[in-house]
Amino acid sequence: MRHLLVPAAVIAGALALAGCGGSDDARAELSVSSSYIPQPVSGMAAGFLTIANKGGAKDELTSVTSDTAGSVTVHETVGQSMQEVKSLDVPAHGQLVFKSGGNHLMFENLKRKPKQGEKVTVELHFAKSDPLKVEMPVKSATYNPATGH
Amino acid sequence: MRKKTFAAAALLAAATLTLSACGSGDDSNSPVAVVSEDTSQKAATILDKPFEKPDLVLTDTKGKKYDFRKETAGRPTLVYFGYTHCPDICPLTMNNLAVAKKQLSKAEQAKLRVVFVTTDPARDTSSELGKWLKGIDPRFVGLTGDFATIQAGARTLGISIEPTHKDKKTGKTVSVHGTQVIAFSPKTDGGYVLYGEDATVDDYTKDLPKLIKGENP
Repeated sequence: MRHLLVPAAVIAGALALAGCGGSDDARAELSVSSSYIPQPVSGMAAGFLTIANKGGAKDELTSVTSDTAGSVTVHETVGQSMQEVKSLDVPAHGQLVFKSGGNHLMFENLKRKPKQGEKVTVELHFAKSDPLKVEMPVKSATYNPATGH
Repeated sequence: MRKKTFAAAALLAAATLTLSACGSGDDSNSPVAVVSEDTSQKAATILDKPFEKPDLVLTDTKGKKYDFRKETAGRPTLVYFGYTHCPDICPLTMNNLAVAKKQLSKAEQAKLRVVFVTTDPARDTSSELGKWLKGIDPRFVGLTGDFATIQAGARTLGISIEPTHKDKKTGKTVSVHGTQVIAFSPKTDGGYVLYGEDATVDDYTKDLPKLIKGENP
């Protein structure tokens, strides 16, 4: 076992460099994927997405805005209840995941009820990086990202 | 030798993960997520000792008295405890049941009772519950009433809920939902199958025909 550990560390180091080169200036490089909103039942909706950070520095999601909703807040699920949080970290070389049963965006006072097939535009605001505009597709009320339907 | 093989496999897995984590942001087919999804496990948990039906006498969406034991006696019945100001799990669970129910024959649908009991009766009045359920399945039963009665009923099913309260830090209203759907048999009236919040439309679609007959899914 001891023989294996050294080369393993070397290989892992090499891979990390190869995979994430060019990030030595330690800035967050953010991108958004896998976003969706399940078609809501009432004047309130949940939203899910993944924010990836390719950069070498962490950032924080500090607020979310949308023309479609009176307010958008960021929640984490703690046990059986949800708690609003002020900000969530997007770690360096990592991601911040919003998924059903975990973190979610909460849209309240919807100005119109988004229907499946439509898009809802939201703007994500960060502590350091520029805001990101995301067109979140509205999926069926029972959409499951693991199966894609 | 065995240990070495394992270490090598682990390293390979770690390398794959590192690569995909640092890849382009467009990972819509996300292989990592699919691997971690355990689809081999069944959604249903069959209980060795079924739950007795809770003695819940509450108010339905039309403002009428609803005696849960009496109304659902001899009927295949599914119960869930949640609240309408819940954007994620509560509507997902109820919509999963609604979509699965639609795949049943008319006769089967007529037998099935789906009952949503609010954990937030102060905000979920009869009419609020009615409005919300109408958007999911107008045949679903929605019950509201005294919180202490609801909490005691939930407790007999192993479901622990707390009253709606204000979060001390943010001042926002926080409610609590149950995490399980419980299926009661039409043969014994016992609550014999549990579903967690990971149960999907497909799980319910597969299982409902059996639950309607009081069989094990």
